[in-house]
Amino acid sequence: MIRATNLHKRFGPVTAVEDVSFTAEDGMITGLLGPNGAGKTTTLRMLYTLVRPDKGSASVDGVDVVTRPEEARRGLGVLPDARGLYPRLTAREHARYFGELHGLSGAALDKRVDELVDLLDMKDIADRRTEGFSQGERVKVALARALVHGPRNVLLDEPTNGLDVMSTRAVRTLLRRLKDEGRCVVFSSHVMQEVAALCERVVVVAHGRVVADGTPDSLRASTGKDSLEEAFVTVIGSEQGLVQ
Amino acid sequence: MRGLIATVFRKELKDHLRDRRSVLTSLLTGMMGPVLTLILFSLISSWTRQDKILEVPVIGREHAPSLMAFLARNGAELKEAPADHESLIRAGKLDLVLVVPEDYGKSFSAGHTADVSLVVDSSRQSARATVQRARRLLELYSSQVATQRLIARGVAPELARPVLVEDLDLSTPERAAALMLNMVPLFLMIMAFTGGLQVASDTMAGERERGSLEPLLLNPASRGDIVLGKWLATVSFAMVSTLVTLGVFALVVRQLPLEDVGVKARFDGAAILSMAVAILPLAFGAAALQMWVSTYARSFKEAQTYLSLLVMLPTLPGAFMAMTPIQVKAWMFAVPALGQGLLAGEVMRGESLGPVPFLVAIVSNIALALVALAATQRLLSQERIIFGRS
Repeated sequence: MIRATNLHKRFGPVTAVEDVSFTAEDGMITGLLGPNGAGKTTTLRMLYTLVRPDKGSASVDGVDVVTRPEEARRGLGVLPDARGLYPRLTAREHARYFGELHGLSGAALDKRVDELVDLLDMKDIADRRTEGFSQGERVKVALARALVHGPRNVLLDEPTNGLDVMSTRAVRTLLRRLKDEGRCVVFSSHVMQEVAALCERVVVVAHGRVVADGTPDSLRASTGKDSLEEAFVTVIGSEQGLVQ
Repeated sequence: MRGLIATVFRKELKDHLRDRRSVLTSLLTGMMGPVLTLILFSLISSWTRQDKILEVPVIGREHAPSLMAFLARNGAELKEAPADHESLIRAGKLDLVLVVPEDYGKSFSAGHTADVSLVVDSSRQSARATVQRARRLLELYSSQVATQRLIARGVAPELARPVLVEDLDLSTPERAAALMLNMVPLFLMIMAFTGGLQVASDTMAGERERGSLEPLLLNPASRGDIVLGKWLATVSFAMVSTLVTLGVFALVVRQLPLEDVGVKARFDGAAILSMAVAILPLAFGAAALQMWVSTYARSFKEAQTYLSLLVMLPTLPGAFMAMTPIQVKAWMFAVPALGQGLLAGEVMRGESLGPVPFLVAIVSNIALALVALAATQRLLSQERIIFGRS
């Protein structure tokens, strides 16, 4: 479970996140929806401990991200905005490296990496160096290394950005599966359809604030709009961020 | 905990050893110093070898039989000069020609100054030593005859030589050769920097630029473990490059005719071991400094630019020492790079220093490394460093 309470972050004169609070439950996919520049990435970075909030707090399974960042990271699997790979290492070596950094080794690590190769359908590319991988293949490798330690909580920053239809579907399937396993899944997106297709819970962020929080149905009900898209425009108060 | 340092270290080694091109480049860079030394040294010594037979082509041998006998007695091999000797000298195929004019005998017998000419091309370095030997022999003959004549007339020869000039030429080829040898420590220190340059720039600035730093920092490994693992990998590359260069130097120096040019330097097994102990600790400080600069740089390219400037750092005291002998003081061993140069120089001269200066130099480099690593670790907790600046 991930809990964010009144998170606030400024970069010099720019306020990236004004006031964000939400709770993401286990066994549920929570979508962080908002236009570009709304503060989604900064919010996620605060949750995964690489950005320190100026105000407010956040916790992962009850572990505070500011005071015990290493322990908080142990319970997190993250697909960050930056998903660079090492071009001279194979896909399998990427997963192994991150597994070792999480303290896995030996047969347990081998087994876990094999599982991920199956799960992400990477048999063809597992033992190839990642240089020259396609966008979809790169995301698979990045997901494999993010999930290698079997985290209870999964954070993904725009996971389907730049992917083709097949890869997008593969990612969606993976997220549903993670949910079914009882994990807490949070992903950010600026694409309405994505969120509508996956989430039980939508947190709409605009201008660094949470402007709506609820199920897609409750969102439609509260705004009096039939489609989620219309509801979205109503809550963020502008047309921006819809076209894509 | 220690295991994580090893994990990062192993991954960086594997990753960078697969970068065949830069591994090869750094090895070839390491060969450059020794090979350059070998070539220059061989050239210089071939010009100055004393045991080489002094060939003196002469025109008009018959005019000066006693001079010819003197030259032959002093090891010169006299022969008839070819007709086109002037163009041969200009082309560098002939070092010199001695010309004895027809009236030599008449002037000599009459007690006048008898002229001979030495045809040379003074712009030719390679002929310098031969010309000098020939000239010295001729001057020796001249002064011997002068002395005999003065004594025959009852005059003390010293009267005719009120001032005796002795040459103390500081820019002899022998000295140039010795300077080349003094460059050995300098080449080794440069390798301690260039050997790890590629790894240091790729492992920090490169890691961020390709977008893999953020995922790496998401692991529960501490920043300190990550920095230490990467540092150890950089140190390994620097040390191996330095050792390879030292090994090639050891092979090369054995081929050099050190005695011929009068250079005294120790290059036996013990000296090479001491040299390694003297130079290698520099890799600790150098690698840490490189990591810090690489982390601070905005981009991979910027990191490489800064790091290649950093390579100049050890050449400053090193170059200075190669040119000017300075009074060695104890504190100098504690200055990274300067200390390494001094230690290596003393080792080559065969001086015995005892273990203390070596220990001082090792401790000072480790101290430098700790400071730079702490600074690197601190940088890695700054958001603008992790996510990059524009």
